[in-house]
Parts: sequence; structure tokens; C-alpha cells
Amino acid sequence: MMRKLWTVFRKEVVDNLRDRRTLLTVLVFGPLFGPVFYVAIMNVAVNQQIANLNQPLKLPVAGAERAPHLIEYLEQHNTEIEPAPGDPRQAVKDGQADVVLVIPKDYGAEFTAGQPATLQLVMDQAKQSAQKNVSRARELLQAYGREISVLRLLARGVDPRATTPLAVETVDVSTPQARAGMLLAFIPYFFLFAAVIGAFYLAIDATAGERERGSLEPLLTTAVPRSALIAGKLAAVTLFSAVSLGLDVVALSWSQGLIPAAKLNIVVNFGGHTALAIFFVMLPFCLLIAALLTVVASFTRSYKEAQTWLSFIFILPMIPVFALFLFPTEPTMWMMFIPALSQDVLATALMKGAALGAGFTVVSVLSTLILGLLLAWFAVWLYRREKVLG
Amino acid sequence: MIEVENIHKRFGAVQAVNGVSFRVADGRITGLLGPNGAGKSTTLRILSTVLRPDQGTVRVDGSDVRDAPLAARLKLGVLPHASGLYPRLTARENIRYYGELNGLAGRMLDARIDELVELLEMREFAERAAKGFSQGQRIKVALARALVHKPRNLALDEPTNGLDVMATRALRATIRRLRDQGHCVLFSSHVMQEVAQLCDAIVIIAHGRIVAQGTPEDIRRQTGETDLEEAFVKAVGKSGASA
Repeated sequence: MMRKLWTVFRKEVVDNLRDRRTLLTVLVFGPLFGPVFYVAIMNVAVNQQIANLNQPLKLPVAGAERAPHLIEYLEQHNTEIEPAPGDPRQAVKDGQADVVLVIPKDYGAEFTAGQPATLQLVMDQAKQSAQKNVSRARELLQAYGREISVLRLLARGVDPRATTPLAVETVDVSTPQARAGMLLAFIPYFFLFAAVIGAFYLAIDATAGERERGSLEPLLTTAVPRSALIAGKLAAVTLFSAVSLGLDVVALSWSQGLIPAAKLNIVVNFGGHTALAIFFVMLPFCLLIAALLTVVASFTRSYKEAQTWLSFIFILPMIPVFALFLFPTEPTMWMMFIPALSQDVLATALMKGAALGAGFTVVSVLSTLILGLLLAWFAVWLYRREKVLG
Repeated sequence: MIEVENIHKRFGAVQAVNGVSFRVADGRITGLLGPNGAGKSTTLRILSTVLRPDQGTVRVDGSDVRDAPLAARLKLGVLPHASGLYPRLTARENIRYYGELNGLAGRMLDARIDELVELLEMREFAERAAKGFSQGQRIKVALARALVHKPRNLALDEPTNGLDVMATRALRATIRRLRDQGHCVLFSSHVMQEVAQLCDAIVIIAHGRIVAQGTPEDIRRQTGETDLEEAFVKAVGKSGASA
């Protein structure tokens, strides 16, 4: 039994190593898709954020001559004053400006009289990309207002602290790793993706491909038990999945160095030890996905048909990842019973530097393995039926 | 020796095989002859253990295909109708895989493959990947694969399909040689002339039943026809009328 299993395993590995598409998928596309995508996106996002903060705020102002003191204040605080467009509302509506400051003609009079002096910020709430500049402008104006009020109180001999009855301090207890959470939320998807795509072509070749070539029937007339046949094929599919996953983990771990994480003041915990722990936590998923792909492909008659059906399986591991992204919840035990979700949660925790208890890992590993073995057993049963010849 | 005993097989509403019994003796080539859809492939698939009979059984050198399929498979070499190779493996690797699956290994297996490469004249392409093989080369590899574990019994499902004249002649010569070595060969075909030329005994099957069996002479006598083809048409037609 073991020797025949080994024979089938070795043949599938050797045979599929000679297939360029399978090889490219397992060694290049599967492992590198995640890191490349990740590094590119993160660099663009991070640099944009940092650039926005350092660059002077370009602020069109209508009626700048009515508030020379305010304008001077703004210019001292990293703002470039620009002439306002003829019709500020239309300009903002058309997207020519993110925000326009309008200083009405009564401003000077109101200001001198000590009344609240009206200023208008023309903005478009629906325009997401403008919100950063809008809030920068608003914060500058509020800061200016506070400064004026302090000066006025001092002029009247009142302690400015009287108008500040509360001093609220925010204490941020999140660790830098935890702040990286959002950044890391979608990395586990890349792991799951690499595991699925690594298994993809070999699973098809070993089942629907075997049938399409007409090599299944002679194979079933050899003195190999069906259980050894399926186990050997599954072992080969699992190996390819694990290789793709392993390379992906290494590549992602290494690619952390290419992300300006320090500029975001966060620390990503993804060194060698974490990478190794993540790999072993994810490994049972490789067996599960190998068995699942094999079972599904066993129902199809041709390579093409198998490809179509198996493509749907790519969506499965995405579901828990997106669910967690949209509804971030604390890890709980029930999650460990759901494959893909449990691996997602465990890997995320490892990267945050807050590994969950051993109990969580054990439940995840065992439940995923058991489900994988059940599917494997189902695959053996499928190949014991004579309908398998199609 | 292959003993087929009263096998039945139904697929949905179609009774593909309906009480077929015959014996295939050692040292002889037995032709399983019948029109398309007569039940030849189903019969061969039952004796190669990939289908289970609804009723009746087949014994290969005494091993029952129902109770001991693995033992029966070891005693049988099968060339199924669809006999695909692995295109990325060489001819030798294709044969070796089946040898290992049938329990051979090491130097003995290597020697056996060399023997088959000689026997089937595969030297030129033995080390080439099977991808671009001609139909004749493919059949040779598939036959070598079926023979690698030295089974005493051979079941060949329309092996000459798609072969050109030269390849067909070469294959026939090989089959005769195997018979002379004492093998028990069951050879299915829908081509009368082929069976007449090659076979020592003939089993004619139509509509899932045996309609005639024996040596070519026996069949001529049974049907009262001197021409074997006429005899075949008569035997098949008779069953068609009664079905």
C-alpha cells in the first residue's frame, strides 16, 4: 500500500514538474502575486498619504484683502493662498478646487465688533478625495479662532484657561503591531490564494486530465488499491499547494522590507519565526484544498470543464477574509472550526505579534485536517464507483 | 485461462450484457466478435474489474473478479478501448509506472522493460516523451504496459483500431508470438476478416448475448454457411430477429 502510494505520488510529481504552466503557477505566479500586489499598493498608498501631509495646502481664497491677519496666519502655517475662481460654488462642484475659503465683506466689521465673524468654506461632502484638504483648512481656521480668543481674553485680563473646563487626554493603548492590523488584514488572503492556485492544475491533471487522456481506465486495471491511488495523487497535490504557500510566505515576509511601514509608525511582526509559524498553521489548509479540488474535479469529464468549476473555489477562501475585513471581531473559538477563517485569524494574530493560545491552533489544525481527510475518503469512494469512468 | 460465467450488466434501461458465458483457453487467441454496441467492451470491462457484473462472475486463472479484484488484475494484462498514455512521460517511464503499480521494482523491472522494448520493437522511441507518438507507437507502449507484469492472460479491446496496414501486421505478429509463449489472449473486434485470420476460437456476441462460439469451422458448421462472413451475418441477424 505505502509503496504504491509512493509510486503514484512520485509519478504525479515528476509528470507535472514537466508541465510549464503548472510549474509557473506553483513557483512564480502563486507565490509572487500577493507580494507584488501588496508592495505596489502599499507604496502608492503610504507615499500619497505622507506627501499630502508635507505639501503646502493650496487654498483659493475669495476676499483675501478683507482679512490680512488671517491670511498671514495661514501663510505661516504651510498654506499657499491662491486667487479664488469667479464662482467658488461652481468651481468646487466641477472639481476645479477641493475647497474654497470665502471671506464675506462684513468680516472685518464683525471681527472688530467682537462678534463671531462669518467665514465660508465651500466644499463637496460627496467628494472623498477632497476631504483631506477640507479638514486641513477647517483645522487651520479653528486653530486661528482659538488663538484669537486667547488673545482677547488676555486683553480683558481673564485667564484663558477659564474657557477650557475640560482637558481630555487620549491614551492610545494599541501596540504598533496592532495598528498594523488594517495593513495586514488582507495578507492572509494571499496565503490562501497561493495554496489554492498551487494545487489547481495538478488536481485537474490527476483527475479530469486522466479521464480526458483515456489513461484512467488502464490505470484502474492495475493492481493498485483505489485508496493508494487517491492518497498518492492527494499527496502530490498537497505538496504542490504547500510549495506554493511556502514560497508565498517567504516572499511576503521578505517584502515587508520594501514597505515604508516605519513611516506609518507601525511595526509588522513578520520575521523568520513568524513566517515559519504561519506556514505550519496554514499547512492543513493545503490538504483540505487539495482534497476539495480533487473531489470537485472528479465529477468533471474534461480539463476545460474542471477549470470552470474549480474557478469557483477561488472565491471560497475570500469569503471569511472579507467578512473579517468588513466586520472586525475579536478571535473566538468557534472561528477555529471554519477552514480558511481559522487560518486567516491565526495568521493575522501571528503577524500582529499577539499569537493566540495553543488551544486555538490545535482546534484549527485538527478540524481542518479532519475535514480534509473526510473529503479524501469521499474521493476514494468516488473512484470505487464504476461511474468514475464516465 | 479466463472463465466468464453467465454475466449480466444493465446501464439504466439498456441491458448491455445479458447472460454471457465463455472460456478463453491458454495458448490460444480467442476473438470476441460482434457489431458495435453488442456488449464486447462491457464484457471486457467486467473481466478487467473496472465494472462489476450485476449477476454472474469472471475468473482469471481461478481468481474471482468480484471477490479478489486485485489478484485478478495481477493475472491479467488489459488494453482498454481508450488506452491513453501520459504525454509528458517517456515510453519507458509510462511502462515503468505500470510495472511499479503491479508490484515490480528495481533491476528486475528494468530488465523486463528492456525485454518488452525488444519484443515490441520500440528502441527508437523508448526514451522519447509520448506526446508526439503515432497511433502505432502508442498502441505498442500501451501493450507493453499491459504486459509488463508478465500476466498469463491478455484482454485486448479492438487493439488494431486506427492502425495502418504495417502496424496492424506487426501487432498481429506480436499477438501470435504471445500465444506461442502460452498466453491466453482474448481479442475483441468488429472486423470479421481480422478475427478469421488471427483467432483460434471465436465467440460471437450480439445484443448482449452469445450467438455462436467455437473454432471458425465450428461456426461455419453451426450456421450452415461456408463463408465466415456470411456465417457471422447470419448468427448476428438471427439474434436481432429474436431480440
